[in-house]
Amino acid sequence: MSNLPFESEVADSVSKAENKVAVGEDLEFQRKWWRFEHIAWSILLAIVIVDLLGGFGRGWLARAQKSTPDQAMTLHYERIARASTPSVMTFQFTDKAIHNGRITLYVSDSVVKPLGALRIAPQPALSSIGDGGITYVFDAGKGPSTVQIQLQPSFPGAHPFTVHVEGEPPVHGSVFVMP
Amino acid sequence: MRFIRPGCPATSTGEILRVAFFIILRAVFGYLFLVFMVRIVGRRPGKQLTPFEFVLIFYLGGLTLTGLVGTEMSLTNAVTQIITVALCHYILTCLRIRSDTFAKILDGTPLVLLDNGRWRTRTMSNMRLQDDDVMDMAREQGISDLSGIRVAVLETFGQITIIPAGNNKEENTGESGNAG
Repeated sequence: MSNLPFESEVADSVSKAENKVAVGEDLEFQRKWWRFEHIAWSILLAIVIVDLLGGFGRGWLARAQKSTPDQAMTLHYERIARASTPSVMTFQFTDKAIHNGRITLYVSDSVVKPLGALRIAPQPALSSIGDGGITYVFDAGKGPSTVQIQLQPSFPGAHPFTVHVEGEPPVHGSVFVMP
Repeated sequence: MRFIRPGCPATSTGEILRVAFFIILRAVFGYLFLVFMVRIVGRRPGKQLTPFEFVLIFYLGGLTLTGLVGTEMSLTNAVTQIITVALCHYILTCLRIRSDTFAKILDGTPLVLLDNGRWRTRTMSNMRLQDDDVMDMAREQGISDLSGIRVAVLETFGQITIIPAGNNKEENTGESGNAG
């Protein structure tokens, strides 16, 4: 193997200030970059505003509500959630949802798996699996009642879900999980 | 409160791969996002970071770390992400060497701030610099006023280089200040 180092001619290609001092300035590129910077700062500001409004979860835009036609069940949830961040799905029931002193609530598997259901409160009297989800049975007295499921989604993306209370049509929804 | 499941472990092969993919993706995104943010925030003159810039650097780093680590706090995760960031850095460095345009996007270009006795006012304002910043660097070289500066250049690494007004002769004769 040769001991000669690899060499090339020195080319005087660096632009000069005062035609003497080699600086390498490229003002044309820099002007484009400044324009890009101004646009980037505007976008960054817009991102902060959207975040404050809840466009990326945990805010006004993220809140969603769905009800059965006769208002037997109203579901409050966050349509935009964040990965590995707690979120709560709240079910409010009126007397119309109570049958034989019980409320029977079905939630699809997607609430448990991709949306990461951690806890349910209050504790159901009975729970069973099947039909692609879990059915909870709660003992219920007269008057409005509330059930909460604490979520902690693991994976980003859109996760559709279905909830169903006995005697009512199913309610479909979707949660978009931000990374 | 009824406990449904203890956390969210990945169960199927697809999910395990997805978790691994997101760990890598978080590291790549975190690195590129920080490079972008630091580039956008701009160059500041000076050989050392000011306390003001210390806050920015450490705060950005700390906040990025939270998102990068997530719930995975294992050594394996840390090692994987460090390797990923190192690979990203290697790729960016290779691209910078191969492409002049990419090098300019990543580092910018040196900018003349003072030339031929005139300030480049637009450059100064766009780079958020004042004449005081130039004089700070000039004083370090023993230059007492602006007339002693021939050219002032904001380098890509943030330092302001001052070429004194009395350098004409040295350049024309090819002499160097360090030639002794």
